Amino acid sequence: MGKIIGIDLGTTNSCVAVMEGGTPIVVHSAEGRNVIPSVVDPIDHVVGDIAKRQMVLKPKRTIFSIKRLMGKKFTDESVKEDSKWLPYTIKSGRDGMAVIEVEGRSFTPQEVSAMILQKIKSDAESYLGSKVTQAVITVPAYFDDSQRQATKQAGEIAGLEVLRIINEPTAAALAYGLDKKNAHTIAVYDLGGGTFDISILELGDGVYEVKSTNGDTHLGGDDFDKVIIDYIAEEFKKDNGVDLRKDPQALQRLREAAEKAKIELSSAQQAEINQPFITQGKDGPLHLTMTLTRPKLEQIVDPLIQKTLHPVELALKDAKLKTAGIDEIILVGGMTRMPKVVEAVTKVFGKEPNKTVNPDEVVAVGAAIQGGVLGGEVKDVLLLDVTPLTLGIETYGGVDTPLISRNTTIPTSKSQVFSTAADNQTQVEINVLQGERPMATDNKSLGRFILDGIPPAPRGIPQVEVSFDIDANGILSVKATDKATGREQSIKITGSTGLTKDEVEKMTKEAETHASEDIVKKEQVEAKNAADSMIFTAEKSLKDAGDKVTEDIKKEVEEKVAELRKILDTGSKEELETKTRELSDSLQKIGQAMYQKPEQQQGEGSEEPKADSEDQANGQANGEKKSEEPVEGEVVE
Amino acid sequence: MKRLPKVGNMDKKKHEKHEKKENLEKKNEELLDQLKRTLADYRNLEKRVEENKLEWIKIANKQLLLRILPGLDALLLAEKHTKDEGIALSIKTFLNILEQDGVLKIETIGKDFDPNLMECVGIIEGEEGKVIEELKPGYMLHDKVLRPAQVTVGKLGNDNQAIENC
Repeated sequence: MGKIIGIDLGTTNSCVAVMEGGTPIVVHSAEGRNVIPSVVDPIDHVVGDIAKRQMVLKPKRTIFSIKRLMGKKFTDESVKEDSKWLPYTIKSGRDGMAVIEVEGRSFTPQEVSAMILQKIKSDAESYLGSKVTQAVITVPAYFDDSQRQATKQAGEIAGLEVLRIINEPTAAALAYGLDKKNAHTIAVYDLGGGTFDISILELGDGVYEVKSTNGDTHLGGDDFDKVIIDYIAEEFKKDNGVDLRKDPQALQRLREAAEKAKIELSSAQQAEINQPFITQGKDGPLHLTMTLTRPKLEQIVDPLIQKTLHPVELALKDAKLKTAGIDEIILVGGMTRMPKVVEAVTKVFGKEPNKTVNPDEVVAVGAAIQGGVLGGEVKDVLLLDVTPLTLGIETYGGVDTPLISRNTTIPTSKSQVFSTAADNQTQVEINVLQGERPMATDNKSLGRFILDGIPPAPRGIPQVEVSFDIDANGILSVKATDKATGREQSIKITGSTGLTKDEVEKMTKEAETHASEDIVKKEQVEAKNAADSMIFTAEKSLKDAGDKVTEDIKKEVEEKVAELRKILDTGSKEELETKTRELSDSLQKIGQAMYQKPEQQQGEGSEEPKADSEDQANGQANGEKKSEEPVEGEVVE
Repeated sequence: MKRLPKVGNMDKKKHEKHEKKENLEKKNEELLDQLKRTLADYRNLEKRVEENKLEWIKIANKQLLLRILPGLDALLLAEKHTKDEGIALSIKTFLNILEQDGVLKIETIGKDFDPNLMECVGIIEGEEGKVIEELKPGYMLHDKVLRPAQVTVGKLGNDNQAIENC
């Protein structure tokens, strides 16, 4: 079963998306971009970015904006208007339909569009690794029957079965899932590369109907670029007496600089325009350097933005609606990224528009979703939850040791092996914690239990496996098993994922604000634990060494232990670390002494200190992390 | 006429049990199938992530290089206008460094215009279809076009066409 692709066949650019694993993915072209310019050389069959590069060289042969001619008669007003500025030849073809003529050959707009669709089809097949034969294609809401038929034909010529033609604003609404949210009335504000469209949609019988449309077929991002270019050129002329627009090479650079500045100013408050050696003046090379501020940019483009508002008014009037009657607004088209545009739209409608989906991709995404529904893919997806906050247990020193991190998809399991903190510790307390902060007391305790009957042993020897299991309903089971005896204890906790969104946000935010002080606290605890371990190791080593060590070494070590013990609870992290290191250095002398003595005792005596000091350096707990054991626990069956 | 016996209670229970068993078996099969599909999706995702990892590295490098190239463009312009030897050498150093990462300048002047490698930004009197001037250099990254060159192309005859807005 092949995938059904969703295609936004645009005037300036086209985009294609497809459903994968329940989410729409935009297919990247062979050139690596998320959109394909709707530009075609029908003689050489060159499409997209490559065709665009030869536009200046072969203006009569490089066909762009073919969408303007789809399904139109040669005698249509709009065709006559467009013929005036389109550089290629438009003629009357069969049935009086508008066709283009290139080097004596005639092509219908459908045939030209089909070449674009063919490239889209093959790029999608490359991406998916399988054949694509079906598609959903979008058209403007105002397209009449003839125009829709032409679009369908174009698909067929390209080898695609067009399962449905849907309206662009409707596709945008699907992309935002507004049909699920029951948004009754929607306004779609689409400011693309060359055209502006406003559509008012109404939800009726689970389907969106178009109540009214309006717009300006010759207003788009290109016009914005032009006024910016004019502004920069005028400023340069004032300062340097040279009009950059008259020099084709300078104009090219100017165009790129203007576009770059425009994009930068959507996120920054000012943009540096820096084009050295932009042209030759009479006294030598001239450089274009200026700063364009956002307020200045907004001032320059404001008349264009204002131009979009009148069609909006007309569309509302036709739909017999006031702005208050609009439930949701959607932004489509790259130009809607400009903050001033968003501001203007918000002002007109009195509420913020939906803009989280990439405005260049939103229509294709909606078409893909429609394709998914038609293909039955969307309905069978199992929705899985995630655990919203990190789950862990309390370990020695009051630290929270995480086992399952937040946003893990459930059901899931995780185990880890811990050990004891004290000699002859026969029971461990498992305190199950939920939260992002490193210290146990700052997180929420979900429950506690005790596992006892652990055979007495030196600290760090017992192995207690703690496993967390969350089932699909969010019920958490925590089990602790003593690997030696097989004794186990467990608890079941419900509601570990049942927090409200606000609660989760609050806890996560708290963790962020306290992050730096929490790190300090945690490091302090870790330094103390390390110091404590070192003391234990030292005392044990002294005991094991017995009289194999000289009195001065013994005394040195005992002194260092006393110093460290004194500051154990009061010392700063740095002080503890220093003293721990000093003790560790002294300790090594014991080891050295043991190796030098002729009658050494092999085995336990000399090996333990080493193994232990590694252990101790990692901190201990009611449950302790064993460094020798694998940290990644086994998946509990 | 002989009459057929009703379905006895014993048989009814047997029948229900049998149906229940069949339903469970069917459900079992469905679940097993779903499990297999999920596992398959997972395995496929793992494979794709591996493939993507290498792609992402390549893409990241490409983005970084594209951001750096305008710096080199400026140097080239400076050299063109000042003819400074020092700058020329600096440019050579820069290009050598880039070459080591697989970045090679696309040769344009005098060559046939090729839209796969170049963008025509102007037409000028000259040999038909050949690149006359290079406005901005283009580069290959290994075997793919990193950035197409911007060139003016020759045309015999009269019209010097201005760059059009599309």
